[in-house]
Parts: sequence; structure tokens; C-alpha cells
Amino acid sequence: MDRVRSGLRGLRQRFRGQGNPTVTKIRRQRALRERLWKGLPFIRLLLFTVGYIWLLVIPSPRFGQGTYIDENALQPGQVNTYWDWDDVHNADRILADLEQLRDRNASSDEIARYAVSQFEGYGIPARTQRYSFDTVTETIKGTNAYAVLQSPRASGSEAIVISASWLSRTGEGDGTLNLRGVATLLALANYLKEYSLWAKDLVFVMSDGYLDGMQAWVTTYHGEPQPNLKAESLSLQSGVIWTALNIDYPGHSFSHVGLFFDGLNGRLPNQDLLNSVSLISRYTAGIPVLVYDHIDPREDHSQPSLLPSWLPDLLKQNSDVQEFASRARNIYRSMNYQARGAASGVHGLFHQFRIDAITLFAVPAAGPHGFHALGRALESSLRTCNNLLERLHASFFFYLLVGPGTFMKIGSYLPSAVLIGTAMLFTGLGEWIRAGWADALSAPIDGGDDDKSEKAHAEQRREGPMWRRRPRPVLEPVGIMVLTHALGVVLFYAVSSSWFAASKISGPVLYLLFSAIPLVVIRAVPSVPPSHASIPSVLKAFNLCFASAVVSITSVLNFSLAATLAVFLALPLSFASTSPSSSPSSRLAKYTAYTALALGWLVLFPGEVQKAVWNWEVLRVWFAPFVCVVYVPLVLQAGLVCLLPP
Amino acid sequence: MDSADTDFAFPALVAARLLLAFAPLPEALKYDQQLSSPLTSYSRLREGIYLFEHGVDPYSGGAFRHSPLLLSLFSTVLPLTRYTSPIIWTAADATAAWALLQIWRLRTGAKKTSRDSQIAALYLLNPYLFLPSLALSTSSLENMLCLLALMFACRGRASASLFSLASLLQLSLPSILLLAPVLLLNITRPVSRLALPRPLDASLTRTIPLLAEFFGYTALLSVASTLVCGNPLWVQKTWGASLTLPDLTPNPGLWWYFFTEMFDHFRPFFLMVFSVHLLIYVAPLCIKFQHDFLYAAFLLVGVLAVFKPYPTLSDPGLFLSMFAIFPEIYPYLRHPIVTALIHLHASLLLPLFNSLWLRQGTGNANFFYASTLVFGMGNGAALMDAIWAGLRIAIGELSEGYEVAQE
Repeated sequence: MDRVRSGLRGLRQRFRGQGNPTVTKIRRQRALRERLWKGLPFIRLLLFTVGYIWLLVIPSPRFGQGTYIDENALQPGQVNTYWDWDDVHNADRILADLEQLRDRNASSDEIARYAVSQFEGYGIPARTQRYSFDTVTETIKGTNAYAVLQSPRASGSEAIVISASWLSRTGEGDGTLNLRGVATLLALANYLKEYSLWAKDLVFVMSDGYLDGMQAWVTTYHGEPQPNLKAESLSLQSGVIWTALNIDYPGHSFSHVGLFFDGLNGRLPNQDLLNSVSLISRYTAGIPVLVYDHIDPREDHSQPSLLPSWLPDLLKQNSDVQEFASRARNIYRSMNYQARGAASGVHGLFHQFRIDAITLFAVPAAGPHGFHALGRALESSLRTCNNLLERLHASFFFYLLVGPGTFMKIGSYLPSAVLIGTAMLFTGLGEWIRAGWADALSAPIDGGDDDKSEKAHAEQRREGPMWRRRPRPVLEPVGIMVLTHALGVVLFYAVSSSWFAASKISGPVLYLLFSAIPLVVIRAVPSVPPSHASIPSVLKAFNLCFASAVVSITSVLNFSLAATLAVFLALPLSFASTSPSSSPSSRLAKYTAYTALALGWLVLFPGEVQKAVWNWEVLRVWFAPFVCVVYVPLVLQAGLVCLLPP
Repeated sequence: MDSADTDFAFPALVAARLLLAFAPLPEALKYDQQLSSPLTSYSRLREGIYLFEHGVDPYSGGAFRHSPLLLSLFSTVLPLTRYTSPIIWTAADATAAWALLQIWRLRTGAKKTSRDSQIAALYLLNPYLFLPSLALSTSSLENMLCLLALMFACRGRASASLFSLASLLQLSLPSILLLAPVLLLNITRPVSRLALPRPLDASLTRTIPLLAEFFGYTALLSVASTLVCGNPLWVQKTWGASLTLPDLTPNPGLWWYFFTEMFDHFRPFFLMVFSVHLLIYVAPLCIKFQHDFLYAAFLLVGVLAVFKPYPTLSDPGLFLSMFAIFPEIYPYLRHPIVTALIHLHASLLLPLFNSLWLRQGTGNANFFYASTLVFGMGNGAALMDAIWAGLRIAIGELSEGYEVAQE
């Protein structure tokens, strides 16, 4: 018993130490603080490294899992399809009409009227809708045609949209016509009318243009006016749209169906819809499925290799490396759409109204598939959507589709961006602590001639620095940050003005102007007494903390944008230096480098800028304002950290 | 800033707020769940007034939970229209900011200080305060009454102070927490004694008549309310709502999710625990800060901000803005930047997750609940830090080699 008691006492002493427990506690706290402070650089390095490596290995074949159907009601591929060669013949007949319309350069109105006459011929009520968008560069006009097939079995409180745009998504709407897509849509309307099993209204939309027509139709349908859009109201209405399938068939035959799913502002449709259509295409219609139009070179040797030619053959033949390359291509494409908030097809316009939508893209090829296979895939997919009793709702909206049958859950890719954000946060907090302490000994002491005091000073120096707290200015750095973000708002208005679009030199002019304005403004920054922490050091701390918050929060909304921000911001912002020894000219050089990072896009990518502004004006994509109001000011602040005298 | 500026700064700030109130803002703001709770929502107030004016008892349904005082005020003297409402709410905020400024002046004992305009700006431009005000949430009126009660107490005008507090109690039951510090503040002085704590020298018996007066006002207002409605149903619908939580519309507080998940047979017990838990803080804070009751009141406002049954952003907003009048504690705050960062994250996450759940439909209730937890952590951190700094300041600057420990 005694031994147990003494053992316990020994244990307690080991944990609490001897003597006054409070003293032990303080000692332990100090040791912990010291270790944390000493370890901070390593923690940061670790977080940065793990975050960046994680970003790089996202395409690794070791990650990801097979797709599955979460919603039991969908029952994909469980029905017999009856779409047959008669219907294919009908589609061919419509195609001939459409080709005739194309050949004689028919106007939008004429084409829409043709579609309406076809729909009405099948006994489905149909109308046209004229619209026009005013943008700073042009006025976009067009005419949509749509038809509502009322559900024979239900009250029509829900609807499914089947759509085809006049222009195909080939080359992001480069002008290739989607004739066979439209022909499929019209022939389907004729065919689906014959069945009484529809529990949802079927809405057929032939939209004009590439994205503009559908944007006009879908915003009018939901009664969300857009100031620069004039569109006729829709006289035929239906219920709440749950799902939408968009048909894109530009070639004369196709080999694969490519699934396009990225929507505006980085929104994705519920993955169940993708998985169902992919299953149906493969097993009901017998068409192989692709993510986007990416045909795997492993499957089709005529495709160019994804791997660079300088890679040794040993690696090129390695199946893991090949799989990595194929996944990396899919992820890169997807992140490219998502980060810019761009839609990869007409389906992308539906997501803003909580409609799950995808595009089935018939990848042009010499064969073997045509109207027959596509029609069957669509029929079965529509039957699956028809089965739904409630909206697709399970948390299946955050994913990266790395291959047609493989995806990554949010937990397996999100931490990469969040880790980098956390590393920035720690860097910022470290800066904040550093700004709060001054080495009392590094300051020159009075009466330096005195030999003795110099000696004492040197002696103390050897023992280490003597830290003393100093006050940190808060209002000034916050003021600078608010001002730069206000400047960002001005920049956005300038970029989206008609002057910017019209003038050739506007990019460089804005670049020079907006990198020069902070130079002038900082002359007004009040100086702080030397006993206080310097403004740039506190500004750097705040800048990093704010940037980290932006990265972490954006990652939930739009992972690709957050990852891009993390890559562009993390290191430049962390390396913004406030070293007192640098000369004004070197500080100015550093600032110039930061302005190039912040505003370089104005000069380097005028085409991208134009596209982003168009996307904002017509489709309400907030990528352009986000870059101007959040990204540019953050980098400019880092530039100011370098520029301001410490 | 010179003191000469202050004379212009205050009207300029109010004018800016008035402009903002009349700016074309999206209508959705009025229905935002973070800006107004079922107990403070403007649209519900309008509905109640409509029913009342058409001879239907607004308390017979489940939608209207405002005090009958607001009902009678807005259906007679101050009709709510598109033009009057923004003016009334801006005026309420301006009065509140003015009261905060007066408290600051009484606390420092100076007629004018260099921080005057800063304090007014911190109240009028605090987004947690002006957004609910733009949404016309009646929580702005509650904040005004709270600050008026404190201001009159600081002035030593007991009756005005107790009447304001009694009116506040009519609007929101949890504010009863402030009764003790306000009573005690009436018999002491509001100057900062944080650095020199000492036992209470005033006699506690002096609070008894004040307490009686407060109950008198409360009884008077309750009778008036009953007369307005013609029946006492309002008690159950307004005060009862704070105790029984009948409406589980999401809000940025900590109660709603808890009670959506709870089995019904545990509900009464946990309602009791949650309500009584609020009362626990009153005595310890008043005893510990018996040298400075204004500070105790400030801390209790913080407690309300974290643990109130139907909070809006106004409640934490009031707490954070009140930090402005205690600059002496700033050097002793332990982790101000951490608190600020949690608040930054929470204020971005709250609207984001709310819309992911309820507008975009890609998230679910757990998302928003998680963000309210972050928000609660931010407010809790601010409160804990304020308590620490308020006690720590008494020890003062430490000489080399000394450290403060909490036993």
C-alpha cells in the first residue's frame, strides 16, 4: 500500500514538479510558449509543404473512390427503352430541314418558328421568346423556342427541362452549330408525347446562341429580372424545375458521350444525376462515357500522349503515371472552369436556380454511334429523373470527378487549400507577435562613449536579447486595407466600363494608374513614434490573416478558386519583407514586382479580362469583381508592406 | 482628432447612416435570419399591427411575438411606412450612440475627449449593429433602451434609468440580467475603478426602494400592455417565447439547433437549464466587479450576446461596441487578434452557410449550426478576455521577472 502511495506521489511530482504548483505552472507555460515560438517556423514550413504536396498529389491513383448512386428512387437503367429506328428517321428528316435553314442563312426568328411549328405539329403547345442583352461592347439578340408537354399523370408542379442550344459548346461556343442536338430534341418531343408515364412536365427548350439564349429563358422563367436584359415574358409556364438535360451533338456521328457539369460560380450539380446518366449511357445505350471530351490515349492510340515526350519510357509505360496524367487533365479542366466561375455548357446556367443539370456531349467521331444510341440514353435518363419523389438533396454537391467512374470526396481534397490558409494564418500571427516586441538592447544606448557601459551592453548581448513590449498601431493598417479594397471597387468599375472595352491602350493605362495611386496615397500615412511597432509589420500581419480567412472561406464555396488563390497568394504574401536595411530603390523594385502580380493580367490577358467582364454582365459570374475587389488589393497590400519605410 | 471635429463628426455619421437607410437595398435583408429573429422581425411586426388595426387579436396566432408596447406605439404615434421606418430606426441608433458617448464622458469625467467621435463611429459603423438596423429589426430599439438605462444610471437619474430598463424588459425578457448592475450603478459612480478595486462602500439597503420602483414600472407597463390587448395572452406569446422557445427559426445563437435535435421529453428540463444558466452569471460578476458596476453590466451584455435565446447580430454588436468605453483594459487583453480573427471567420461563414443551406440547397442545417458555433466561440473568447483584462488591470504593469497566474 505504501509503495503504491509513494509511487503516486512520485508520479504527481513528475507532473507537477516540486514546490509551489503555481510556479511550476508558470514555468511550464513559459516553456510551452517558448517551444511554440521556436517551433513556429517549422510548423509553418510543415503546413506549407503538406498543403502544396497535397495539391500536387490530388490526381494520384491512390486517392478517389468509385462512383455510386446515393438516391434509391433514381433506379437508373431499370426500364426498357422503346426509341427506335422510326424515331431516328424522324430525327433525320428534321435534320434535313435544319440543314436547309442553315444553308439559306435563316434568321433566329425563322429557326425558332420552325421549331414551334414542329412542336405544334406533334400537339405540344409551344411559343417563341425574343430577347436582347446590352453589354458594353455589343447588343446580343436572339429568339428561343420552347414547348411544355403537360404531365399526363400529375398536376405539373414539377418539371424536367430538355434543352439544346443552337450553337454547340465546341470551342466554348465558337460558332459550330448543334444541328443534330436540336434535331434530337425535336424528335424526342414527338416520341415522348406518346407515353403516358410522365409524372413531371417536360419542358423542351431550343435556346438561341450559346449561353445567352438559355440565360434569357431561365431567368425569365424564374422571374429574376436582369437590368441589361430585355426578354419577352413566357406565356407557357410549368412547375418547379428539378433537373435539366442539355443535348450537344455537333458532329455527324460520335464515339463517346462526354459529361459536362461545371456551372456558373463554381456550382456543381448533384453527383447522383451524373452517375445515373453515366450508368445509363454505358449499360442501356452502350456508349462509353468520358469526363468532358477527354478521350484516354490508353484506349485510343491515335490520341496524342498526355505525358511529355522527354519523360523516360519506363515512366511513360507505368500505368500509375498514365492514370495520374489522365486524372490531372480532368482536374485541371474542371478547376479551370470552376475557378473562373465559368459554365462548361448550357447546363451551367440552371444551377443558380437550384436545378441539377448536365450536358451530354456527343464527342464528334467517325462512328459508331448516332441518333439511335443517344435517343435511348436520353429516354432512359428522363425516366430516371421522372422517378424522383423529392429533389436530389443528399450532400453530394462537393466533389472532383477525376474519371468517368471515379470521384474524390470533399474531405480528400479540401484540406490542401485549408492547410495553406492555416500556414498563412500562422505566419500572420507570428508577424503580429513579432511586431509587439522590441529588443531593448538593439536600440543604441545613450552615452555610447562610455567604455564600461559598452562592455556591460556587450555582456548582456551575449546572454540574448532583452525583449520589451511595444504598442502596435492598429487603426492605420486597417485604414490602409480599407482604402486598397475601395481602390479595388474603383478598378472594377473601370474594367467593366465601355471605355475599357473600346480602347486598345486601356489595359496598360489602368495598370500604371492603379500601381501609382498607392504610391501617392502612402505619403499621407501618418508616422508612428519609433517606440511603437512599424506600420508595415502590422499591415503584413493583418494582410496575411485576412488573406488566410479569404482562402479558407472560399474553399467551401469554390474549391478551385481557393486553391488558385492559395497558390498565387500564400508565398508572395509571406515573403513580403520589412527589413530595415533595404534602400528605397530596392523597396520600389519589390513593390513593382508585387504590382505585376496584382495587376499584370490587365496587360497580359486582355482576352480573359473581356471574357470575365462578359460573364459578369450577362451571366452574373462574380469572378471579375472578386479579382478586382479581393485579390488585387491583397497583393497591393503586400507590395505596400515592402514599400513603406519600416 | 480634435475635439472641434466631434461636433461635426456625430451629425455627419448620423447623416451617413440615414443615407444608408434610404439606399436601395435588397428586400431580402428584412428576412435575413441573422439580422432579425422571430421576436424582432420587422415583417412580423407589420403583420401584427395589421391584424391589430383590423380587430384581430395578433397574439391569437403564432407569428407575432413583439411587445404590446411596440404594437401600440407603432399603430398610433409612429406609423410605420416606407419613409418613417428608416428614420425611426436611424434615430434609435443615433440615440444609442449618443447614450454610449454620454456614458464615456461620465466615466472619464470630461466634457469632451479626443475619442468622442471614435466612440460614436464604433457604434454607428459597426456592421453587426447597422445591418440589423437596416433590416429594421427591433433589436436596435432594445439596444437603445439598454444604453439609455445605463446612461441614466451613470448620471444618477434613477427613475429614468429604471423606467428605461422596465421598458427594455417588456421588449426582451432576458434583459432582466441587467437589473442588478443597473440598480447598483444607480447608487455608485460610473468612474473607472478597475485599476483600484475596493469593497463596495455604498449601503445595499439603498437599492430596496429602487427595486420597488422598478417593479412598480414593470407592473404599470404590464397593466398597460394588458389594457392594449384586452387580455393577458401577450405574456405567454412574448415573455413565454424566451422561456419555452416555440419558434425554432434559425438564428445566430446557440439555442435553436439544440432544441431542434432534442427529444420532446427532455425539452422542459433543458429549457430550464438554459434559462437558469443565464442567471448564474449575475451574482459572481456583480460581486467580483463591485468596484465598477458599469463593467459588470458590460460583461452581462456579453453574456446575453452569447447565451440569449433569440439573439440577432445586434446583441454581440452592442457588446463589441461597448468595448470602446473601456480603453484602459486594452493593454491587458490576452488574445485580441485571435478574437478578431474568429469574428472575421464567423461573420463570413454565417451568411455563406446560411445561403448554402437555405438558398443554394447544397448544404444542410449542420453547416449553419457549425458557423453559429464559431460565432459563439468568438463572442465567448471576447467575453472571457474582457473578464480577464478587467481583473488583471488591478495588478498593473509587472516589473521584470514577475508573472501573474490564475489560481
